[in-house]
Amino acid sequence: MTAIEIGRLLRASTTACVVGCRVSQANVPAFGGLVRIPLDAAYSIFGLIYDIRIEDDGLVRQLVTADNVPNDVILDNRVNRNVPVEVSVLHVGYEQHGRIFHLLPPRPPLSLDLLYTCRPEESRAFTGAGRFGYFRHILRAADLPVGELLAAHLRLANADHAEQGNHDWASAAVQELITLLRDDYPTLMTVLGALADTEAW
Amino acid sequence: MENDNTIGYVVGGSLKENLNVRLTVSPQAVQEGSFVVIDSGDWRFYGLVTDLVLGATDPRFADEQSERRLPPRLAGLLHGQTLYTNLEVLPALMLERGPDPADPRYPAWRMAHTEDPRPIPIKTVPSHHAPVRRAEAGDVAEIFGDPNKKGNFIIGYTREQLLPVCLDLDKFVQRSSGIFGATGTGKSFLTRIILAGLIQHDRASVLIFDMHNEYGPDDTASDTNQRIPGLKSKFHSKVQLVGLGRDTNIRGATPDFHLEIAESDITPADIEMLTRELNLRETTSTTLNALVGEFRDQWFRRFREMKPGATIETEDGKKIPAPDSVEAWANQAGVNVMAALGLHDKLRKVFYLPYIVERPAGDAISEIIHSLEAGRHVVLSFGDHESDLDYLLVTNMLTRQIRERWEQTTNEFRSGKSSREPRPLVIAIEEAHKLLNRELASQTAFSTIAREMRKYYVTLLIIDQRPSQIYDEVMSQLGTRISGWLGDDLDISAVLSGLAGREALRGMLARLQPREEVLLLGWGVPMPIPVKSRRYDERFWQELKGGSESKRSEAQILKELGF
Repeated sequence: MTAIEIGRLLRASTTACVVGCRVSQANVPAFGGLVRIPLDAAYSIFGLIYDIRIEDDGLVRQLVTADNVPNDVILDNRVNRNVPVEVSVLHVGYEQHGRIFHLLPPRPPLSLDLLYTCRPEESRAFTGAGRFGYFRHILRAADLPVGELLAAHLRLANADHAEQGNHDWASAAVQELITLLRDDYPTLMTVLGALADTEAW
Repeated sequence: MENDNTIGYVVGGSLKENLNVRLTVSPQAVQEGSFVVIDSGDWRFYGLVTDLVLGATDPRFADEQSERRLPPRLAGLLHGQTLYTNLEVLPALMLERGPDPADPRYPAWRMAHTEDPRPIPIKTVPSHHAPVRRAEAGDVAEIFGDPNKKGNFIIGYTREQLLPVCLDLDKFVQRSSGIFGATGTGKSFLTRIILAGLIQHDRASVLIFDMHNEYGPDDTASDTNQRIPGLKSKFHSKVQLVGLGRDTNIRGATPDFHLEIAESDITPADIEMLTRELNLRETTSTTLNALVGEFRDQWFRRFREMKPGATIETEDGKKIPAPDSVEAWANQAGVNVMAALGLHDKLRKVFYLPYIVERPAGDAISEIIHSLEAGRHVVLSFGDHESDLDYLLVTNMLTRQIRERWEQTTNEFRSGKSSREPRPLVIAIEEAHKLLNRELASQTAFSTIAREMRKYYVTLLIIDQRPSQIYDEVMSQLGTRISGWLGDDLDISAVLSGLAGREALRGMLARLQPREEVLLLGWGVPMPIPVKSRRYDERFWQELKGGSESKRSEAQILKELGF
């Protein structure tokens, strides 16, 4: 499977970035999905999609109040909109010279850098490297829906690992989460509650 | 390094407060009293599980039944991380095992330690996260002795793995010992087992005061009605069965000889020891001294023959005490008449004991002493004379003479007058609290033996169900203590007095199985340990006398050691 381009970078910091994409591209990224921003041949940043935002524009505001908007108008507005769909990505690590680090990237991506979905082998390589060190970036982001984000991410990543016959990854990931959160009962129960709602369990 | 027996790792603790060990196996896989081994650096630590504590990283994880909220797999993962069991381990011994032989440091360490290290009392603690494992056969043999070595007597087996736990009989007889337990906990069977071991080992003579005629002749178990072989029928001429009183028959068995006490052997001290039993007054001592002062060793007979209240009439018709009356003697000796009359009345119980005679048929006491000195063992059965009065009087009189004899023999040996070293002697006494309670202990020969006679080759084996009734000073002198289940707090405290870690051991003692489980404690065992006591049955005798046990154990031990 080839990586799918999602969009181009709008703004970024060391910890996160926002990518703008067309609606046709916006069907691809999923909440909790792992994405990659290649900066050069030997350096890529990995991130997790934690928000997908569709802002309004002037035309939409007018159409919302109009009666009987034709379908082709709606479709035209969606496809040819002026304001891009914004995909927010949390940086969770990077790859440099073939080695994966669950650390914040040394430098953020630049505007208009391309963002791609991770292929399953990339997902397996990143999530299977080390001992789930990238979880701390997620858990530190207090203003994110951590439980939902983790549940979505574990479901997607587990599917990638299960595809190759590794059915233990999800258990190991949950064990690590429990270890990290066992002194934070409310957060842990929120995370486990969200996980319980996925089919992985 | 972990192995299949690993059950957890050290997470905290101290020498004073025990070690805390996080359990990595199911709590049901470990029991209180388990003998565990902790390897940490160059040291190996030996300890005893004294408690299991359920814990949670946050109390809410324990409070909430999350298995109802979460899928089983998630709940299992959560419980595995947040709910845990901690062991409390009483550290007892440590052994410097040195670096691994493959370690470059090993040659230097071996040069500095030419002798194989021995376990020593605990002085430090293992490091955090040191692995904890169940003891294996080699560990039990390292601490409690190799069952194949002469003198190591298997007294029971570890609770979980049933590994043989030995008692070093040579060490056991060096100091007085005690066997305790509430009634019905198997004290008598355990005592039989230990006595049989001592007799078979044959390094000390054993004198058994068999108040209830249990040890010498064959008996029948009160609960199973099965025949229980006695020591006499198993050891034949090695054991002398002595019956108290002429023509005494012990459960159908004829004793080897009978014990009769000469009236002249009874001293005022023997009577004073019966103060509580006879309800004697403070004036007793004065009256007895006057009797001995006047009649010497005939005081007992002469006093018995006096007639209390006998009078004669004078020529003027006045009644006065007869010359052979108690009153006449009291007046003449300057003793209070009422005191003399009272004592005479109370001594009636002693005057007419059938085994106290003017001229015994033989010198049974000397014969007992000679048997013991010659390496034989004596069971003194009380026959029908099972009252406390009989027991107190006879045991004390006999022990007094034995004590004097062993003191004399020892002094002669030590001063070079004799080249014959005294034969170690163990005196087994049942219902010990009757002789060693606070009131009597200072008056009987037994307390002296418990305190001082170790250096004269005499020690006690006391058997009792109320250790709290035994004088503290005597209890403190007991080297080895073997206790079955005890329900009374005071009894438990008495058994544990003077021992390290007694708070931790207290619960263990109270939670022993009511039958066939005992706790080994004290100086005679390297560390406390609860064991399933050996069964007193035909197999025991086969193993004791036939040696099949040693063959089995040898093969088993070698296999378990990996040879």
